[in-house]
Amino acid sequence: MDSTLSHARATATPTVAVTRRVVLGGCLLATACVLGLLEASIASPVPGVRFGLANIAVLVALAVLGEKSALAVSVLRVGIVGLATGTLFGPVSVLAVSGALASWAAMVLAFRSSARFTFVGISIAGASAHVTAQFVAAAFLSGTTGVLAFAAIPIIASLLFGIATGFAARYIISRLEGNGLAGR
Amino acid sequence: MSRADRILAIAVVLFALLVGPAVRGAAALSPAQTVTIKGPSGSTRVSLSAERTLEVEGLNGVVVVVVHDGHASVRESSCPDHVCVRSGVVSRSGEAIACVPNGVTVRIGGERNDGLDAVAR
Repeated sequence: MDSTLSHARATATPTVAVTRRVVLGGCLLATACVLGLLEASIASPVPGVRFGLANIAVLVALAVLGEKSALAVSVLRVGIVGLATGTLFGPVSVLAVSGALASWAAMVLAFRSSARFTFVGISIAGASAHVTAQFVAAAFLSGTTGVLAFAAIPIIASLLFGIATGFAARYIISRLEGNGLAGR
Repeated sequence: MSRADRILAIAVVLFALLVGPAVRGAAALSPAQTVTIKGPSGSTRVSLSAERTLEVEGLNGVVVVVVHDGHASVRESSCPDHVCVRSGVVSRSGEAIACVPNGVTVRIGGERNDGLDAVAR
């Protein structure tokens, strides 16, 4: 099974390679949206604590499709989930966008870094950057730094969930690459 | 997990533990005696020793702020996810609860200059 697919990949024309990237990118965006919606429907017991499931799709996109595709998946996910939950263009979407951009930037830095981060480490960087950026954005929007006093528990939670989503992403990435389905 | 991963994890934990005290330390300019409630239409300052329930008009509806026993909290809000309600109580100087969807903040201490135009009672 694997050998047939890698053979198919080796002989694929450029058009097929582009198609494969587009299809995989679309699948990852759809996955990110579903995970984001799922998470939006779960009421978190502690304010600011989120699982960050959608980050799995963004990290997979970063690993198999590259930085630009990961940014597209992340930003489009925020737009689509915002549209579906009715928070688009409200103050809440400012939090979502700042979190998504910071998370993407942190993961790109960790991915490029010469320090040997595994996908788990990259995921931790993305998750904690996401939470931190949301709190900073909330401090700007509310005009007070006092809200940052609540940041400790969400940041520690983001570390734990970042480890969990990192392992999930690593599993998916290894399966995609093992099947020669990675887009690059 | 590699060594770099573990170092990053420890750094995140340290950052999390330091951010709260750092914010409280920077904001604690004066003893907390008042709570400042700021909404889209202005701000109000209330003594923390008062027993008050305030209905603040937010961007999406009403936010009910309760001042009781030296603490301030948000009891009810029209926002979708109720982060403000679940934030609990604030009592120490510099601590704040923000309801971002409604544009309402509740901050302990009002002595610091915020560039506010008016204080309504």
